[in-house]
This record gives sequence, C-alpha cells and structure tokens, in this order.
Amino acid sequence: MTDTETLTADIETKGVSKESNGGETTNYKRKAFFSNVLKYAKSIFFACVGLFLCGGLWEWLSSYTEGDLPTPAATFTVFFEMLSDPFYDYGPNDKGIGLQLGSSIGRVLLGFSIGSVIAIPIGILMGASNIGKQIFYPIVQLLKPVSPLAWFPIGLVVFKDSDMATIFIIFITSLWSTLINTAFGVGSIPQDHKNVAKAFGFSKMRYLRKILIPYALPHIITGLRLSIGVAWLVIVAGEMLSGGAGIGFFVWDSWNALSLERVISAILIIGIVGLLFDKLFTLIENKVSYKA
Amino acid sequence: MSYLEIKNLEISFPTPKGKYIAVRDINLSIEKGEIISIIGHSGCGKSTIMNAIAGMNTPTGGSVELMGKTIKGPGPDRGIVFQNYSLLPWMSVYQNIYQAVDAVMDCSKKEKQEIVLQNLEMVNLMQHKDKLPGQLSGGMKQRVAIARAFAINPGVLLLDEPFGALDALTKGTMQLELLKLWNLSGRDKTIIMITHDIEEAIFLSDRIVVMNDGPAATIKEIEHVHLARPRNKIEIVKTPEYIELRDRLLHLLTDKFSIEDMGMVYKK
Repeated sequence: MTDTETLTADIETKGVSKESNGGETTNYKRKAFFSNVLKYAKSIFFACVGLFLCGGLWEWLSSYTEGDLPTPAATFTVFFEMLSDPFYDYGPNDKGIGLQLGSSIGRVLLGFSIGSVIAIPIGILMGASNIGKQIFYPIVQLLKPVSPLAWFPIGLVVFKDSDMATIFIIFITSLWSTLINTAFGVGSIPQDHKNVAKAFGFSKMRYLRKILIPYALPHIITGLRLSIGVAWLVIVAGEMLSGGAGIGFFVWDSWNALSLERVISAILIIGIVGLLFDKLFTLIENKVSYKA
Repeated sequence: MSYLEIKNLEISFPTPKGKYIAVRDINLSIEKGEIISIIGHSGCGKSTIMNAIAGMNTPTGGSVELMGKTIKGPGPDRGIVFQNYSLLPWMSVYQNIYQAVDAVMDCSKKEKQEIVLQNLEMVNLMQHKDKLPGQLSGGMKQRVAIARAFAINPGVLLLDEPFGALDALTKGTMQLELLKLWNLSGRDKTIIMITHDIEEAIFLSDRIVVMNDGPAATIKEIEHVHLARPRNKIEIVKTPEYIELRDRLLHLLTDKFSIEDMGMVYKK
C-alpha cells in the first residue's frame, strides 16, 4: 500500500466511525484516549523536570549554607508531620496548620466578599456612566498603588481590633482589580448590543439583566480572580502584623522559633491554596464566557 | 397622505470641524405593503436614513411620519434586522426572540411563548431553538434576526443590508424566504431594505431609491420595478424590462465601465 492509499483508507475509516458504526468508533475513541494520556504524561514529566531542578538548587543552597537552610528531606519530614495532625489546638500560640489555614481563608473570604459586593456595583456605575467614571476614577487611581498594609493602622483605629483590621486590609485589597475590570467590561459593551435594547425598547432593568451583566460577567470574574489572588498575597503579610492565628502568623512564629522547615512547609501550603483559588475562578470564568 | 412620509429630511452630526451633513432634502412617500430598496455607495447615508425611520437618531431637519405621526424614537411598529444580525451571544435562539417579544408585547406569558414558537416555525428553526447564536451558520443567524423582527408584528420592517454577509446560494434562499414571509403576512407589511446588490434590489422591490454620494447625500433617482409578482428569478432576468432596468441602475451607480478610462498608464 502506498502512502496515499493509507491516507485515503484512514479518512474513510473516520467517515464510517462518525456514523457511529460500533467497533470502529470504539477503536477511534481508544486512539483519542491514548493520545490524550500521552499528552498528560508528557506534561507531567516536564513538570517533574522543573521540580527536580528546583529541588537540586535547594539541596545545593542547603549545603552551601552549611545546614542553616534545611534540606528538602528534613523539610518534607516536618511537612508530613504537620499534615498528619492539622487540627490540634494547644492554646493561642500552638495550633495545627489546618486551623491556622482555616482562619486565614476565613478572613480572606470575608474581606473579599465585602470588597466584591461594593466593588461590582461601583464598577458598573463607572463603566456605564461618564459622571460615575469622573467621580470614582481619580479615587481609584490614587488609592490603587498604595500597599494594602498601609491601611492597617487605620483599620486598628477604626475597629480597635487587630483581627478586624486584617479583614479591613483584605477588603481594601479586593476592591481594585474587581472595580477596574468590571468598569472595563461594562464600558466596552458593543454598540450592536445596545442597539438591540434600543430597537426593541428594553427597560433599564431588562438591559441590566439581559445585556449588561451577561456581557460584563466574564470581565467581572477575571477581576474577582485577580482580587482574590492579591488578597491571598496580602493576608500573609497582614497576619505577620496582626498576630493571633493564621498562616502568616504561623510563618512568623516559626521563624522566631527558628524552625525553617516549618516556614518552608508553610510557603508550600500557601502556594497550593493560592493555586486552588486561581483554578476555582478560572473554572467559573470558563463557565460564564460565551462565544460571540 | 402616505403610510410613511419622509419630508425634507436632513441629518447632520456635530464634529470638531463643524457641522457634517450626512443626508439632506430626502423626500419619499411609501405606501403600505410596498417593498423599497435603498441603493448607493458605501458612506452615502443609507444607514442614516434607515436609523431615522427606526427612530435611533433624530432628524436635524424635516421629519419622518408614520401614519401621520412624527417618529420620535424606536417603537414596536417598526421591526429592525441589523446588518450583522445583532443577536445576543449568551442567549439561546429562543431567548433572543423571547426577550424582544417580552419587552414589546402586552399579553400573557403563554401567548408570548406561543408567538416565539410560531415565528421560529416560520423561519424553520424549531430544532435549533435551544442553540446559542455562536453555534449557528450565518444564514441561520439571519433567519433568527428576521424572526425576531417579525415576532413583534411590526407594520414596517427595516432591513440593513440583510443578506450582505451571506454566500450567494444562501442569499438566494433567504431572498425567497423573505418574500414568502411577506406573502404569508398578506403583503401588507412595508419593507424598507438597504442593499448593495442591484439584482437583489430588482428581484425584491417595487421601487428602488438610488442615492448619490455623500457627504450631504440625497436621492438621485427613484426607479419603479414593473415586473409582475410572483417573480421567477431565472425568468425575469431574460425580460427586456429587467435588462433595461439593470443597465440604468448600473449607469446611475457607476461612472466608468472600462479600465482604459481610468488611467493614462498605457498611453505613450
């Protein structure tokens, strides 16, 4: 059989299998399945190469600092120890990693939720009305570049409570990306869509519910994803300031106890949680996006 | 008094360099049930006239009156099919039509659903009603847009280059489809259509409005099409009347017919 003949035969097989002819469809599906498995195996392999390089560098740094920086092996022993009993509670200064993580996530979600509930409507106002934009945009431009930690004293003064102050800085952090992305999404609604509303006499409410929000939703979710990412960055620093409980406090406390194994373990856990937040919002983003 | 009267219509836009007159001195009387094509070069203000009839822009001079009443804004008595279909991509075909019906019609929910289904049936899209616009072909999208415009049962149907983006075969089918819908409605819907296509204009219209070039464009000529309906697309092209009309329209729209007229490149 020449090459061309093989090719034709192949195409014909595919044609038949499309009409769902029992055996050949399974064959076709199996091929697709295996090529997928191969693809995943490849990407896992390359990810492992990266991790291996990272581990090598770590090992070298550890021997270079003559053991001041713990070795990967020592760190992972502590890491799994920490994970084996994550929820123990021996008083305010000695809690399991699960409890610390839980209180950090709780603060982030609370601050982030309040921030989003305020940022989305203001973002819509900024995107939909020129006056709204002129009122809010200068404030956003002025305050957005400020490190959220600078707000901590203000939170302390207002709430007289370090826990509330931490939630307050997360709230401030969560505003900007959501605000800007929402305003951008709403501001970029194409004239075509607006014309539909005009031509068919849509009420303000119908325009909001059926055109503005569905159009802007993917942008809003992107804003939320960026916001929660920054909020998760800031919580660690915030809790180092506030103390109490939380993953940031845990990092600082472990440093004071000179347990770098615990610090590095906490870094890994912070990374994993951040990754999961991002994945969650990417999932929602894909759900609400549409094909024009 | 005609059904739709355009009197001394002038539309201008303010620009940094001063007033830009898009169209001026437009006078046109349209009877109920007429099919009118507006034809002209790009940028000659065809869409501007259409938008004035739709009520999407306000005349700076003159007026547009429908049944004796000046048009002040969009209304359910006029249905619009936009050039690029303008379907909302996040809603199903059914919802795209339903939202328009729900916004315009004053009847029970059940009756509204009934209307949507009837119109989907009319354009043969019943089995695609739950699909999103992104899953449809260009011709299908155009049918949804037409069904949406028909569903609100307007007296006037405004079509802005409705078949411009379709391939020749689909275009032919859609033209027939439009005439079928017009016949089904007892030929009492007035259709005003913008087109670039001379043959399409002759095949569909009772009168063809030829515009001259902008800025400050106005009507150059109005041609009557006396071909009897129903028209057969293959038969009419052979009639002397068709050929004469097409030539006249071509002359009106084109100044030069041969490449030699255009340049002196080959002159020695």
